[in-house]
Amino acid sequence: MKKKIEPWLFLFPVLLILLLLFGYPLINSVIMAFQNYKLTAPNDIYFNGIENFKKLAGDPDSLMILKNSFIYVFVSVIGQFLLGLILALALKKRFRGRGLYQSVVFLPWAFSGFVVGLIFRWSFNGEYGVVNNLLAMLGLTDTNIAWLGTPGFSLAVVIIAMIWMGIPFFAIMILAALQSIPSDVYEAADVDGCGTMRQFFQITLPYIKPTLITTTLLRTIWIFNSLDLVVIITDGGPANTSQTLPAYMYSKAFGSYDFGFAAALGVLLMVILGVYALLFLKVTKYDKAGDF
Amino acid sequence: MKKRFLAALLAATMAGCLLAGCGSPKDSSSDDSKEGSSQEVTLRFIDVSPSPERQKYYEGVFEKFEEETGVTVNYESVPWDDAADKLTVLGASGQLPDVITTHPLWLGQFTEADWILPIDEYVEEHGDEFVEAVKKINWAQEKERYGHVYSIPDGFMVKGIFYRKDWVEEIGYKIPTGKDWTYDAYFDLIKALTDKDKKQYGNSFRGARGAFDPLITYLQTYSGGYVYDEEGNFILNTPECVEALEKWCEIYKDGYVPQDSVNWGFVEMVDNFTGGLTGTISNDSEVAKACEEKMDPSQWGVLPMPVSTIDGKMMNTAGSPYSYTISKASEHPEEALALIDFLVRPDNNIEYCKMGGLIPIKNDVGDDAIYGEDGPYAVFQAELNDPNFTVPPMYGPFNYTDLHQDMFHTELQKYLLGQQSAEDVLNHIGTELTTRMKQYLADNEGAEIETPKTMQ
Repeated sequence: MKKKIEPWLFLFPVLLILLLLFGYPLINSVIMAFQNYKLTAPNDIYFNGIENFKKLAGDPDSLMILKNSFIYVFVSVIGQFLLGLILALALKKRFRGRGLYQSVVFLPWAFSGFVVGLIFRWSFNGEYGVVNNLLAMLGLTDTNIAWLGTPGFSLAVVIIAMIWMGIPFFAIMILAALQSIPSDVYEAADVDGCGTMRQFFQITLPYIKPTLITTTLLRTIWIFNSLDLVVIITDGGPANTSQTLPAYMYSKAFGSYDFGFAAALGVLLMVILGVYALLFLKVTKYDKAGDF
Repeated sequence: MKKRFLAALLAATMAGCLLAGCGSPKDSSSDDSKEGSSQEVTLRFIDVSPSPERQKYYEGVFEKFEEETGVTVNYESVPWDDAADKLTVLGASGQLPDVITTHPLWLGQFTEADWILPIDEYVEEHGDEFVEAVKKINWAQEKERYGHVYSIPDGFMVKGIFYRKDWVEEIGYKIPTGKDWTYDAYFDLIKALTDKDKKQYGNSFRGARGAFDPLITYLQTYSGGYVYDEEGNFILNTPECVEALEKWCEIYKDGYVPQDSVNWGFVEMVDNFTGGLTGTISNDSEVAKACEEKMDPSQWGVLPMPVSTIDGKMMNTAGSPYSYTISKASEHPEEALALIDFLVRPDNNIEYCKMGGLIPIKNDVGDDAIYGEDGPYAVFQAELNDPNFTVPPMYGPFNYTDLHQDMFHTELQKYLLGQQSAEDVLNHIGTELTTRMKQYLADNEGAEIETPKTMQ
């Protein structure tokens, strides 16, 4: 029995920190979700049952925001995945200046979300933005498009920014996986007369599948959770049409100071992501992904 | 075991926080009180909103004051966040400095606790020097609420419409004045100034946070300034108000303002006006500071707020950030009053007002380049003496931060984007405000609906 205590003893400091910095806020926010907790009325905090969730269900914008979140996550992940894969495949072969090229295209990942947000906000500005300017020069439009002032477009701008920012992460991960595939497998396939397409689908993809799964899983959760780009580029506007769940949560917590309602949104977010993670792992049979 | 350790750790942290929290606000106050009894008079002055700029201003004025009167003034300060607490502690222990900068909201507490001195005599003697708004709004209100006048405001934040003088001159537009300067005339001006080929829009439209603030001021011109009836029902959703809201938004829908402005808040409005994209902006006098910094004096001017088509009243604001008052604990009340009089002397008051884009409280601004007759601020000064000047109440005495941060502008944006009707906007907002107002009236027995303050 004594031996079993030892590892816990070593883990204790980390567990303590986790408990304090992660466990406590987590539990507290779940509690808050069932409270009337408004910073504007700090003396009037009490449990109000499922009132916050009722409000959430009755909020006419809830459904739209949920839909926005799914569109935002789905399109961003697919876009990043495809473009990242293409980039990784392009970088796999050696060519002159590859190192320089690689460091340039990986740059967006090094930018902070705040900077990326500002770049896109200004690029898509309806009056001074470079995008409208380019479109006009190409003769595609003669009026200024109010990208951030039009429902639909505003969310699209956030998605484009998110894709641009996230491509390098996919590319880095996939490239590393590609480089770990032994070259003799390809040589053998060549000898057997296997074409490029078949090589890609039957050798490359299976080899990098574990990486793809982990990366996609991680990115989906990260993107779902991220609010910086939404808040900086559109702040959810106009009329909440580019709002996503975490950005809405942020605006409820730090705009309206309704911590109870924001916590309810947080719980919803946690449930969605929890279910997603379980389903994803099950569907992709994560345990067996590495076996061939 | 783990639990107990955790509890101990938490307790230790909390104790630490408490100690740190209590330690700070108590120092820096009682250094100079002993010298007071000698021949030389030393006054203590406390600023509740200190900044390096303000400290420099006050110390400069105090130096001049000492040169002229021989009275030394010591500048003390307390950060705004701690100010209410600290003044309460000082007041309760009879140690308030001679002259205090206060927030209008604190006067109730201070007068009830009998910590400050009335200045009725001074008001009687010097009242004529001040703009009408000080006498008919600030002092009338203090007298009504507390029986006496206790404080002198430091300056005024007034609304006006900033416009591109050069654009108006270029198109040779004649802006109506007096009774003809209505909101309709304002919308016409916006339309006339718009020239999209030249990348000129008529107005810095406010579509995001705070979008409802200028709009409600406009709607109030239809109700004499009232927002609620006596029972607490929201009354700004009448057919005239719906029509007014439609007119207000027409300038957006018809393209006289940038389409992006549906997302504009204060910063974007001001930046796009000073940057040369828009021709007018309706806002507080503080915007003048940004105009001065970024624009040529020939480019901009100020128009008064438009008047009501119904009763000719001009809905405006007349907020004073702070006011000066004398502590009852002061051993030298006469010198303290002299100091306040010195602080609001036109030259010193003008210097003060320039720091924050405020409007001076005295009429005699001389030929000052900015506040004088030909200066851009002269309009604000005139507004404060206009008999039609009216300060309507805002949304209500309850907390509406959450609505201001979210619902007000989201509802308006939905109309701007064609997702709901103008009537819906006012009904949705009205229902919410009515609920809160009625709750407030029920919770506060004897509370009444605030009336608009007029100069009559």
